[in-house]
Amino acid sequence: MNAPEKAKLEHQLAMVFDLNKCIGCQTCSVACKVLWTRDEGMEHQWWATVNTQPGKGTPKNWEEMGGGERGGAPVAGHLPTKEEFGGGWEYDFDRLFYGGKGSAETLRPTKGAPEWGPNWDEDQGAGEYPNSYYFYLPRICNHCTNPVCMEACPRGVMHKRPEDGIVLRDEDRCRGYRFCMEACPYKKIYYNHVRNIGQQCIFCLPRIEQGVAPACARQCPSRLVFVGFLDDKSGPIHKLVNEWKVALPLHPEYGTSPNVFYVPPLSPHRLKPDGSMDTSAPRIPIEYLETLFGPRVGATLDKLKAELDGVRNGGSSEMLDTLIAYQWQSLFGPFTEDPAELAKAESANGGE
Amino acid sequence: MSSKATSSRSRRSRRAVRAEDSYSGVADLYKEKWTWDKVAWGTHCVDCYPGNCPFFVYVKDGIVWREEQAGTFTQIEEGIPDNNPMGCQKGAAWSQQLYSPDRLMHPLKRAGERGSGKWKQISWDEALTEVADALIDTIREDGPESIIREGTPEIAAVTEAQRFLDMIGAVTTDLNGSINDFASGLYETYGKFNGVSEIGDWFNSELVLIWHMNPAYTRIPHFHFVAEARYHGAEVVSIAPDYNASAIHADAFMPVRPGTDAALALAACQTIIEEGLLDRGFVVEQTDLPLLVRADTKRFLCASDLDADGLEDQFYWWDSGEGALAEAGRGSLDLGGVDPALEGAFEVELPGGERVEVTPVFELLKARLNEHYTPEQAADICGIDANDIRWLARKVAQRRTNIMMGYNSMKNYHGDLMERSMALLLGLTGNWGKHGTGTRCWSTGLLDGIAIAMAKEQPGLEGAQQVMVSALGTIEETLAEDPSLTPELAMIEFQKQVAQGLGGFSGGMGENVVPAAFFWYYHCGYREVWNRREWSDPAMSRPFDDYVEEAFDKGWWGELPELAERAEPRVLIECGGNILRRTRGGTTMLLEHLWPKLKMIVTVDLRMSMTAMHADIVLPAANHYEKIGFHIPTPHLMNATFSDKAVEPAGEAKPEWEIFQLLARKVSERAKQRGLTEYRDWRGNKLDLGTLGDRYTLDGALEDEETLFDDILRDTGLSGALPAGTNLETMREHGHVRFVDWGLSPMALAQASDVKADEVHVPFRRHTEQKDPYPTLTRRAQFYLEHPWFFEADEALPRHKEPPKMGGNYPLHVTSGHIRHSIHAMNMTNPVLLQTHRGHPFCFLNPQDAATRGIDDDEEVKVFNDFGSYQVPVKIASSVRPGQIILYNGWEPFMHKGWKGGSDVEPGMVKWLHFVSYGHLSFWPAQWQPVPFDRGVYVEAEKVVEPVEA
Ligand code: SF4
Ligand code: SF4
Ligand code: SF4
Repeated sequence: MNAPEKAKLEHQLAMVFDLNKCIGCQTCSVACKVLWTRDEGMEHQWWATVNTQPGKGTPKNWEEMGGGERGGAPVAGHLPTKEEFGGGWEYDFDRLFYGGKGSAETLRPTKGAPEWGPNWDEDQGAGEYPNSYYFYLPRICNHCTNPVCMEACPRGVMHKRPEDGIVLRDEDRCRGYRFCMEACPYKKIYYNHVRNIGQQCIFCLPRIEQGVAPACARQCPSRLVFVGFLDDKSGPIHKLVNEWKVALPLHPEYGTSPNVFYVPPLSPHRLKPDGSMDTSAPRIPIEYLETLFGPRVGATLDKLKAELDGVRNGGSSEMLDTLIAYQWQSLFGPFTEDPAELAKAESANGGE
Repeated sequence: MSSKATSSRSRRSRRAVRAEDSYSGVADLYKEKWTWDKVAWGTHCVDCYPGNCPFFVYVKDGIVWREEQAGTFTQIEEGIPDNNPMGCQKGAAWSQQLYSPDRLMHPLKRAGERGSGKWKQISWDEALTEVADALIDTIREDGPESIIREGTPEIAAVTEAQRFLDMIGAVTTDLNGSINDFASGLYETYGKFNGVSEIGDWFNSELVLIWHMNPAYTRIPHFHFVAEARYHGAEVVSIAPDYNASAIHADAFMPVRPGTDAALALAACQTIIEEGLLDRGFVVEQTDLPLLVRADTKRFLCASDLDADGLEDQFYWWDSGEGALAEAGRGSLDLGGVDPALEGAFEVELPGGERVEVTPVFELLKARLNEHYTPEQAADICGIDANDIRWLARKVAQRRTNIMMGYNSMKNYHGDLMERSMALLLGLTGNWGKHGTGTRCWSTGLLDGIAIAMAKEQPGLEGAQQVMVSALGTIEETLAEDPSLTPELAMIEFQKQVAQGLGGFSGGMGENVVPAAFFWYYHCGYREVWNRREWSDPAMSRPFDDYVEEAFDKGWWGELPELAERAEPRVLIECGGNILRRTRGGTTMLLEHLWPKLKMIVTVDLRMSMTAMHADIVLPAANHYEKIGFHIPTPHLMNATFSDKAVEPAGEAKPEWEIFQLLARKVSERAKQRGLTEYRDWRGNKLDLGTLGDRYTLDGALEDEETLFDDILRDTGLSGALPAGTNLETMREHGHVRFVDWGLSPMALAQASDVKADEVHVPFRRHTEQKDPYPTLTRRAQFYLEHPWFFEADEALPRHKEPPKMGGNYPLHVTSGHIRHSIHAMNMTNPVLLQTHRGHPFCFLNPQDAATRGIDDDEEVKVFNDFGSYQVPVKIASSVRPGQIILYNGWEPFMHKGWKGGSDVEPGMVKWLHFVSYGHLSFWPAQWQPVPFDRGVYVEAEKVVEPVEA
């Protein structure tokens, strides 16, 4: 192993996704796609994905693929295939519109019927009607404190920036060995078959360096993605994660100390067999949520419910006011620069 | 695609990299992707409603690479979250449609059968000549009424295409009739369907009922206000057959049996009355429930009953204080010290000495609710537990309640009964005309400069002032004639005259507008379908045609039926629409009945749509970001939202304003060459093609789109809706600007609330606070409709009726709506968005229903009924109610095998009662008219054993 020495981490960037505001709209994933992953070889790459849970997600069955860390060393899990990621479909519009075959042609992917994709099991969920249940889970690279992808790379092409904890890859030096893809338990690394390299979320580095929030966060219309430094005591991230403890990491048992946290999902009351409401029971089974967010999730939801009850009875809640985010910019900590203003200034300077 | 940054740019990027960064290789690559030549304002106006999301468009090397929400809204009201960063995934991927392979780049002429996909690329001049000649031929042989445009709300078409078509005397189908977004039950109740609060007002709700809406799909940029209202103390209840994407964020999910919402609402009303939870003050002041009804005739007691000279629309209540009959005010809702009785029976003496019993409407209502709609009775109908109905009713009575209602109820056969029942629930509890309450629908207006630009006869400020003087003069005259009117009511009167072809402030709605249903009835084969009794309300005692005949013969619709009948279709101009995808009945009806009658079909579009595919001439339009435009203005946002020209149009595409200018000039040129310039329309008005080209642009004054839009903004300032001084330059600076008043259009005045700069808008406050009357027959929110047909239907009062078996006696109940991934069909083929679902269409089925039919996930099924059939893959989800099939709309038919889509199982039935004309139930553009239904169609689904293409 030729992993670089771990430099001392000065600060760690983090995100909190509030799942009670996420509507699965895919604006975050599309924003990232349009900005970063349109080159050849990146067709199937979606650095930000949003899946319906319970579900198999993307890559298909990623939660069963292994990886992560055990005993201080990365574990090689399953190497996700292009088919397991799915998507990247191509369509022959020319043949359809100009081929002269009329309604004998249909607009369908050219390379056979698709079998999986980045959002294949959208809105399918689980449970039995009327007690069906599901929620949306947006995911990006977790920029883990303990990045097993980096440790697994024999060439040492990955690097965790000491100033902000962003995990970056030197694409010029990457040789496409894909040990990182086996090790990453979140399966958030994609293989670019054209360039023979691995690729993943760069935490919108060029934006971050200009003080602009990442595209997936800034473009989320439901205003639920908090960005900031974990150790910034005045910022919402610190409060949500460390102080109020209502934001939890996904699959903490994977052992990588992820830096993306989630406010877990509430859900409507269950219905009893006679069709009447059982106001004491949420419909998402707590056991299921524990498999995702660990044993603290029940207490977290109780805390959230207590706060909700409080405001419904005329009280106030700093936690809920934070999650409301009266001022959109309050989500983004120090990253509140307006990218359009920067771009305008840049073009006014004549690009030099 | 790969990014090609200039070397100077990458040098500059490198400078920004920290010296100690050993990973400058990767940083550089991505920094190159993050450099831009230019940014410009952009939004997406192709009937994404309410939309209005301000974006910045990022340009490099003359190409739009991406866009990002501007996030430039300032907080309107202290204590309410701001609107940022409004936008959705469609908007965030719009740039990818500009250069998508289905983008239209050149004028095309059909070179084979219609729909065959055989095309010849032709020049603009050739295309325009073909179209001009076809128009001239039709005018000569059949009259200008044989030139038809499908009304659509696409804002470029409303102005540019409509101006051209009005000038040649063509006929347009009413846009709301064409798109089926008319909420007849709200209109029946309020005399207007379109009260709309500003999105921020959702935050003021204490109880949010998501009912006939799926805002997590359809209101992506605005949904956060629901989630935030919840964090602010509101309870959220989802009432829907399926556990949809909005229901997951509710506190309670009430799984209503589809089509039975009226029963649920009425049982809640019964509880409210039974338990004494009524907001009596609101009810007596705002509604017709205290008005007296004669026991003998069941009609309102009116002044002409008591005095031969009395008004037919002067009604009465019983003043409990005086123990006497009293006139219910027409000019104001102010009770003037009267205490109207809601209950009891009274006697009135008629002029002949005859004594008749009268009772308040409320008494009739109460009796009906007690007889048919106790929670236990309703539970049997709608499947919601009786005590849970009571739980809901008590909450509505205690809290500021907002019914998040989209455009779904209105698409049910008995949707008007649902809406009237839901409005009744709100009325009994005082839940409209104040913050956090009400229902929602759509509305527009506000950007009056468009209507002014289209109406003015000379360019510049002077021309605009003339239009304003004439419009204001008409309002003043109308108000002077009947002082009981408000400006809103006067404007509606005025608009009704416009609808009758009397000219005026047409608001860009066109002067030869006919209800779309009339056009379909006469020319598209629907007459036969609508006469199928087994698909209609069994309460009808006569065949459907008898009712239509009675309505038309009695002159209830003025000359509109005659105009519709005369509009024997020869030329179809489709601009900003996709009639073959949208129309209920789809290709099954239109390709069979309409297409063969058409000598020329012209489609102006951004992309190859199903309709373009079946056109004779296809003209490529500039997309957003390639032309100047505004989003459809709406009270939801209260902003004029600007979209600039960031880049040149792709290929040979042109903005609509230029296309119709060129066409107008070409028509003039050809008409002169062919010796046909002057002719008369069916009303006898003289029209002139020779000068058309000049008149279209007011002799060139409006030729340039910069001038046109500058005028529109300035003139909107003139009408008072935008701050004075707003122009293209200020717009380029700010991108969006908040409206300061409603202007003159009746759709905007219908909001009936004063616009405030620092308070979110909520409609109907002029009714609840200033006591302005409603534009209904009784001048109140009206729950009692005493027309003979409504008696025949037993629908004089709100009630529940089982949906008729539209399509035949099949087991699966169709529900529908906008899907998440596209606004109508227009984003369906976006290469990025296609990757965000299964890459092909699907319908939703419950696992049980799939299993009994032997259907696996993603298997293709044939969906069919007695009307038609189509093929679609299945998505199995336990969130779907057993017996329900969700056929989300928007997929292009060509995404399905054999090019039949969801509309091909929808017979597009209309309700006979909507041919009535009574009091406020009379036509004006986008308002009262029959509109077809697609929810509650019945179908079966079976596995496709051998695919069509095999
Ligand atoms: S953009 Fe926001 S609301 Fe939409 S899927 Fe992503 S995180 Fe969820
Ligand atoms: S942080 Fe940037 S690169 Fe990473 S997923 Fe979000 S948008 Fe994509
Ligand atoms: S498509 Fe409509 S809703 Fe989406 S961003 Fe554009 S304007 Fe907003």
